[in-house]
Amino acid sequence: MQTVYGQDVRRYLARCAAAIERHREYLTRLDAVLGDGDHGDNMAIGLQAIRELLDAYPGESSPGELLRAVGQRLATTVGGASGPLYGTALIEAGLVAGSAPALDWPLMGRMLDAAANGLARRGRCVIGDKTILDTLRPAADAAMAGDTPGRTLMAAWRGMRSTRSLVARRGLALRLGARSAGHLDPGAVSCFILLAAMVH
Amino acid sequence: MLHPARGDGALNDAARDDRIASLEQEVRRAFEDAQREADAMFAQYQLSQLLASGGRPAELASVVLAEIVRLCGAAAGSLWLREPGTRPFRQAAASFGAPPLGPENSPLTQYEVSLAAAAAAANLLPLGEEPPEGFLALWPPEGAQLDPDGLRVVQLSRHELAVAFRGAQLRETLERERQELTAIVDGATDAIIQVDEACRIVRINPAARQLLGLATDAAVGRRCAEVLRCVEAGAHAEDACPLAEVMQSGRPIAYREAAVLDAEGAVICVAGGFSQAASDVTGHIRATAILRDISAVQALEQLREGFVATVSHELRTPLALIRGYTDSLLHLELEPAEQRHYLERIDQATERLSTLVKEILDIAHLQADPLILERRPVSFASLVARLRGDLAATGQAARLVTIGVDDLPPLEVDAGRIGQVLENIVGNALKYAPPDTPITVAATVSAEWLTGTIDDEGAGIPEADRALVLEPFHRGRHVRESSIQGTGLGLYICRRLVEAHGGRLWVGDRADHRAGTRVSFTLPLLSGAGA
Repeated sequence: MQTVYGQDVRRYLARCAAAIERHREYLTRLDAVLGDGDHGDNMAIGLQAIRELLDAYPGESSPGELLRAVGQRLATTVGGASGPLYGTALIEAGLVAGSAPALDWPLMGRMLDAAANGLARRGRCVIGDKTILDTLRPAADAAMAGDTPGRTLMAAWRGMRSTRSLVARRGLALRLGARSAGHLDPGAVSCFILLAAMVH
Repeated sequence: MLHPARGDGALNDAARDDRIASLEQEVRRAFEDAQREADAMFAQYQLSQLLASGGRPAELASVVLAEIVRLCGAAAGSLWLREPGTRPFRQAAASFGAPPLGPENSPLTQYEVSLAAAAAAANLLPLGEEPPEGFLALWPPEGAQLDPDGLRVVQLSRHELAVAFRGAQLRETLERERQELTAIVDGATDAIIQVDEACRIVRINPAARQLLGLATDAAVGRRCAEVLRCVEAGAHAEDACPLAEVMQSGRPIAYREAAVLDAEGAVICVAGGFSQAASDVTGHIRATAILRDISAVQALEQLREGFVATVSHELRTPLALIRGYTDSLLHLELEPAEQRHYLERIDQATERLSTLVKEILDIAHLQADPLILERRPVSFASLVARLRGDLAATGQAARLVTIGVDDLPPLEVDAGRIGQVLENIVGNALKYAPPDTPITVAATVSAEWLTGTIDDEGAGIPEADRALVLEPFHRGRHVRESSIQGTGLGLYICRRLVEAHGGRLWVGDRADHRAGTRVSFTLPLLSGAGA
């Protein structure tokens, strides 16, 4: 992967917004089974809202600065648990990036790792709980181990697929108990969509 | 903190470095505090979301317990709740591996819960105000403590937890009561109809739908006047609906008779109570009618009145005759021929009385369910022959003409009872048709049934009376005023006896369209003997 500058982060976030919009209905449909049926809408609205936010930042803003600002915004505007969780992940990643003007792939691996750690801490979740973490953690592990972006995304894909057979142990899906098995976790799916937007 | 001294560059630099390090430490601490605060807020949000998700108490308890165990980093936990209105606590949920606090499923007092928790080395958190609504028992992992941040979140939520569980319990109680009420209403044999302020039906039970001949729920939402059609049925004026009345006055109507039209437009007499139901959460009033079909009761009442009137009349007439003749015999000096005449009249009146009493006993017997029949194979011809023998004694056997009654497959009937039916119908024909006219008994068979007909050449029974004469105490209008005596019970008894055999009995015109009456009936053939 090439070196990533602030402008690339802006383009990445725009791709995220477009991809989430494309899969908005699918995400909401998945959430209707396990949660309260608003994940697609919440994510779409949240990612639309950050466009104006990014316009307010000067063109030379560093990737870390932009990610922290976007995380802050998502945490406070996106409804449901996904807002604070994705917000935390982005802020943690932004903190690792610090004020560096450009990101290389090893740094991005450390950012993914920090994002996964922050999300696990905030959501009090571990791998296998049928959450966003089931997609994010394997991706972070792959990147940290020096895998290519493509192989990292494959790890995320496998993690997302693994949530289908899992019994939910966090969030509203807890209510379903064993009945939660057999459905993909909407958070794990949206996380894969966001990671896939990285590998353009 | 060091105070930088002017003029000492080295110390100045060292002090500045210290200052920077201290500030950085402070920032880091503030950042970590903020992180922990945000973590706690998010944890509280997730717990609240679960609490607000509703569900049955047992489900809610296990889900919330799982969340709390995770939140506090506990190895296991159990949740103890008090059923509304009771003192002791029961285990509502326990995570996998939670040590039991007492014998399985047994309720514990507050004191026992705290003792047991202490004995089992559990952290015990009361939920709600004193006295608590419930307890959380949490076990820390081996050699570790519970997460203080998570524990703090649970502490902060303990009132919310108590309220949520109480709410879930109340919802469950309410739901159970609602189901019980629905079962009662749906299972009731009385028609129950509930309307809103605009007299639109909001509830109608199966008994009511059956009474009115309606499809399931077709009536809900429609105005009750359209569904019950009580105005058309003549129950009351358009502005005198009892349901509207109770909603207006607020006073129940304990009993009122009314009428409705069923799907075929037939009037059904109903009676029952009307009351104003307690207003629902929106403050709207509802009225309920609990009605019973009283058509049968009314018919029975009419029958009873008719029975008493007829029986007392029929009993009194021969009694008065007997009284008169015995008086004459006792007090007058009479010629032997006259005495004999009077005694004969007394004998006739006594005969009439015993017939009446026998018929009333027959009816009482017919009401018994099931009617005991001694069914045996018997030929129709032999029943007719026996009847002919009885008629020979009174010299009327010659009037009896039979067509095709011989060589028929055997019947399977109570010979005594069916003999009584033939005797009664033929007796009527002899009584009402002109003297010396023939009475024709004929029979045909088809499949499993024998159809018998008895024709006379009397005046016939008017069309309108034909169904009625088969009911008790109804006599044809034209014979009621005549001098021919009768109780109006004979044909009714015949019909009931034939029906008890599974057959039918009806009155119609003669097949040759001459004046007279044809009484027809069907009787079961011996199974396997049919044509």
